[in-house]
Amino acid sequence: MAMFSGSPYLRVSYAETNRILPEPYQRVLVGAVAVAALVLPAVGNAYLIYLLNLTFLAIIGSVGLNLLTGYCGQVSLGHASFLAIGAFVTAILANRYGAPVWQALPAACLVGAGVGFVVGLPALRFRGIYLAITTLAMHYAIIFILTTYQANFGSSATAGISVPAPALGPYEINSGRAWYYTLLLVSFGVVLFSLNLSRGYIGRAWVAIRDRDIAAASVGIPVARFKLLAFVCSAALAALAGSLGAYFTGVVTVEAYTLELAIIYLAMIIVGGMGSVAGAVLGAIFMTLLPFGIERAFEAVPHAWRLGTTSYGLQEAATGVAIIFFLLFEPKGLIEIYRRIAEYFERWPFRYRELQPAERR
Amino acid sequence: MELLVSILVLGATHALLAAGIVIVYKASRIVNFAHGELAIVGAYVFYSAGLITQGQSLLLTIAATAAISALFGVAIYVALMRRLVGQPTFVAAMVTIGLAIILKAAIVVVWQSKSVGINLTRQTLYSFPGGGRLTLVDVITVTCCIAFFTALFAFFNYTRLGRQFRGAAENPLLASQRQVNVNLILALAWATAVFSASLAGVLFGSRSMLSPQSTIIGLSGLTAALVGGLDSLRGAVIGGMLVAAATYITARLIDPALSEAVPFAILLIVMTWRPWGIYGTPEELNRV
Repeated sequence: MAMFSGSPYLRVSYAETNRILPEPYQRVLVGAVAVAALVLPAVGNAYLIYLLNLTFLAIIGSVGLNLLTGYCGQVSLGHASFLAIGAFVTAILANRYGAPVWQALPAACLVGAGVGFVVGLPALRFRGIYLAITTLAMHYAIIFILTTYQANFGSSATAGISVPAPALGPYEINSGRAWYYTLLLVSFGVVLFSLNLSRGYIGRAWVAIRDRDIAAASVGIPVARFKLLAFVCSAALAALAGSLGAYFTGVVTVEAYTLELAIIYLAMIIVGGMGSVAGAVLGAIFMTLLPFGIERAFEAVPHAWRLGTTSYGLQEAATGVAIIFFLLFEPKGLIEIYRRIAEYFERWPFRYRELQPAERR
Repeated sequence: MELLVSILVLGATHALLAAGIVIVYKASRIVNFAHGELAIVGAYVFYSAGLITQGQSLLLTIAATAAISALFGVAIYVALMRRLVGQPTFVAAMVTIGLAIILKAAIVVVWQSKSVGINLTRQTLYSFPGGGRLTLVDVITVTCCIAFFTALFAFFNYTRLGRQFRGAAENPLLASQRQVNVNLILALAWATAVFSASLAGVLFGSRSMLSPQSTIIGLSGLTAALVGGLDSLRGAVIGGMLVAAATYITARLIDPALSEAVPFAILLIVMTWRPWGIYGTPEELNRV
């Protein structure tokens, strides 16, 4: 066993190639990020913590979508409806039946998984663009049902359904800081779950289906079962994000779950890099902070108010620009930029690469 | 009678929208998700062109809008779609989604989300006993639709370029080896598509107010195209009429709120029952 496996060429066992963080510098990097994440609430202001909480919610959702679209290759425009399902189940259980968080959250995930199963059924018949159109129709169908439900909810129909702050035993999660640590923990768990799925049999089966489903079937992968599994996992994680988001914002309205939201989630994994958990995380950070960055930049412009809705329009446009820019010029996303840099240092002082090493996560 | 006229007018708009989607799909196997946005932006351009010419010359406004639309279509092809040759089709579809977002944001930035109407003419030709009216705009809408489809039919069947277009749509490689300029054909397809989108948008805008939310008509167009078959122009007309009839009858007889759900309900039914549409080619499915 090599103590220092500086190169993928020197890995000699399956266990070694399959580690989550094979390189020592990666462990240092992740450790540094972890320490920074833990101490950040002590120094950051409330606004920053709020932004990071939004980012964590986005990470949970985008990692979920990445399982489906990134690994299994099924394009889904229905991610916003999965989030909406999670949020509505939580809101209904917590508001109507007074269910505590440890019941409402798993229930939301379970219902989300069930809906994911149903939405995934057309995937057994269609590929590519036809599947995308079907999930689009599913999105509108689910949102229509929820709109009807919300309209008949009662006195608070237009304002949405309120959700009480979640309480675990005596501890109520209501401050930004408490939310920060909760969401950090949950998104860490989701990332770990997703990494473990992706590096095992299931993840490799998904990748095989993505690359060529007929070939995957011919090597004995039950394609239908794994496609549905991808939909179920992805929808469950989206419902988790939706449920936590409902608790976080304290109110659930159907207007928040537009098709644009589903596209923003797709943009996250495109920008970050499809088929990479780290990419999904990077993309979620990028796409969540981008609109706030544009808003900040506009505040610096003198007489910005004269431009009316320009700032808002540019924030919207940023999603589209990001999608097109990355698809045209960096189709493998932000993570590919990181890979190139890492590779340069790994090979230093050599420049060439002869073999394609096993893909790093 | 009144019902029939309303369906015909709405169907003509849907058919025009569907035609644009079909032309692009036929030529390049790309499903254009930005079609509704292109239509509404085209209508806004018409509105602005009308402001610039101060209503002096309708002909000039129409010419300007048509030229801008066609050029924009060529620009989309040259700047975006040409770079995506050889990539999976859903990548191109994602790019059109990105384009849709940018166009919608353009309405917010350039026109500040203003709700505007296009005042072509308010002339009423005939009043129905029930209270409905047949306006000149209705007649113009249907005439434009018929004229556009007739022109397309003549182009595809009786001109050299049209035959080359069909050849390139069927097999780009073979066509290019027979000295068909496939680039020209594809640019032409996008120009025609964006032009027809603008036409549909202007006609839509002269009957109801325009706003960023109007871009939802793209979904009706896409549904119409799918119902008829993504690679069939004949299907676009039939699909447009069917979707319009279903939407209108639901709104009239059952519940107006439900009519918004009709296009995607039809979409779901078609996708489970006959995904290639009424006139589409079944083996198209295996190619995606």
